[in-house]
Amino acid sequence: MPIKGKRQEITAAYLCLIPSIIGLVFITYLPLLSVFSLSFFNWGSGAPNPKFIGLSNYARLFTTDPYFLDSLRVTLVFAVLTVLGSMIYSLFIAMLLNRKIPGRGFLRAVFYLPYVLPAMAVYIGWSWLYEANFGLFNYLLGLIGVDKLKFIADGKLVVPSLALIAVWLSGNLIVIFLAGLQNVPRVYHEAALIDGANSFQRFRHVTIPCMTPIIFYNLLMALINNMQIVTPALALTNGGPGNASRFITYLMYQSAFISNHLGYGSAVSTVFFVIIAIFTAILFVTSRNWIFYEGEER
Amino acid sequence: MYESKAGDRLAAIVLAALAVLVLLPIWWMFRSSLMTNAELFAYPPPFAPAVWRFGNYPATIVNFPFWVYLRNTMTIIVPSVIGGTLTATLAGYAFARLRFPGKDILFILCVGSMLLPTMVTLIPLYIAWSRGLHLQDTYWPLILPYFCGGGAFNIFLIRQFIKTIPHELDEAAKIDGAGPLRILASIIVPSVKSAMIVVALLLFIGMWNDLLQQMIYINSSKYFTIALGISQLKGTLQVDWSKIMCATCMSFVPGVVFYLIGQKYFVEGIVMTGMKA
Repeated sequence: MPIKGKRQEITAAYLCLIPSIIGLVFITYLPLLSVFSLSFFNWGSGAPNPKFIGLSNYARLFTTDPYFLDSLRVTLVFAVLTVLGSMIYSLFIAMLLNRKIPGRGFLRAVFYLPYVLPAMAVYIGWSWLYEANFGLFNYLLGLIGVDKLKFIADGKLVVPSLALIAVWLSGNLIVIFLAGLQNVPRVYHEAALIDGANSFQRFRHVTIPCMTPIIFYNLLMALINNMQIVTPALALTNGGPGNASRFITYLMYQSAFISNHLGYGSAVSTVFFVIIAIFTAILFVTSRNWIFYEGEER
Repeated sequence: MYESKAGDRLAAIVLAALAVLVLLPIWWMFRSSLMTNAELFAYPPPFAPAVWRFGNYPATIVNFPFWVYLRNTMTIIVPSVIGGTLTATLAGYAFARLRFPGKDILFILCVGSMLLPTMVTLIPLYIAWSRGLHLQDTYWPLILPYFCGGGAFNIFLIRQFIKTIPHELDEAAKIDGAGPLRILASIIVPSVKSAMIVVALLLFIGMWNDLLQQMIYINSSKYFTIALGISQLKGTLQVDWSKIMCATCMSFVPGVVFYLIGQKYFVEGIVMTGMKA
């Protein structure tokens, strides 16, 4: 009987996992390997059949490509602004929402709302608010005596302007922070209260340590997601003005799907993958110093 | 609670003020959709339209066939959300409850894929779907991947949720002779409904926003989704901002409706997964 039960369990497990295994093999890891190999080929316009060219794609990328270094810089600036902005904004909102306040459910829904709106429509909608002559923001800035700004039409302001939209869209981080805050054990706060800790001390020494694993998770996911930013470039700016919003995913899209250079696009993807992997590794290694796990001595 | 009354009051005031700021862009888009272009280009801009011109909406549908786009979008989203939620639940159950050889390595591969940016695999997948399987300009490349586990995060979420269900229930069913799949159907699924709704909502939002893949795989305008339709607006309507805002506001509706239906499960669903560590 136990043997039969065990075999039954194994069969059931594999049955349940068939779709995911297919997905992991054919949609995740095999394509990952293929993108590495494709990056050594010339394939696409001018080369109907893949032709091995060694490291030429990479050489071109780092030396003669007029866009690559700019797009790397623009992507990093966007990611840093968005990750910092959305982490601070959503942790702050989540902490306030975690208090006993009237209309909490409604307020929670309000802050989450932007996240459920389709992103490209949001970018288009905001582009009207950013409009230089008749937009809401220049009107509001005019009230406090600031000169008109061109926002997304200005090479210097386009990335911060798009980052502000991305922060506004980051309601999903709020929900995850909120969930984490509700899981902070009440007894810790009560013990700290008995010891006479004020609310800032409790925030610093109870809430933050208990929240570090969630902060880490949100940081990691926000970084990976925001490095892949492409929607505003596709829907709104086409990488402009100039190259100011030519994000690296957009560069990949252009090389592979507009110019039809699949090998070259794969090289862009590979470099991008390596950069993300380095960032992820740095985050994981440094996280050992600041993540606090319950019941663990530091 | 352990927080002070005065602090709560201050928090409520700050939140209310921030909520107004968060809603202001949405209000501005909506109010712009109800005005004529002449009114939109007036200075100072009025906070609310003098006349609420709901007629702008039917006029917009001439250039922006919302119902066609909505039907196309739903043709992709409905099967994908169902497929993703079901296969994520199956995988989450196996990882949470069943013992089998290779479990640890599979779980690591699965969680590891969360760290892999989706754009990295885009080109090989495009080659496979469109040149290998000749499915370019169909919805299959957008739908089928969702029947393959529904994403690592969602599998993880369901697994965490299932782990909070007491084992006694399974044991009792086992004694009654139920096999693992029977236990999944009769005990696990009814207790993880709220996590499944969270997963469905996350899948919905993810697909809704995936402009890049829709641009890559769909060419014919008769197959256009809302995302693609919106992305063409600036080209067709130029500076007809009132119509552009009508289209924008229309495209907001389906997501908001789905969210309002699922929202009461939302935070609860994520809290229950023990996101604390």
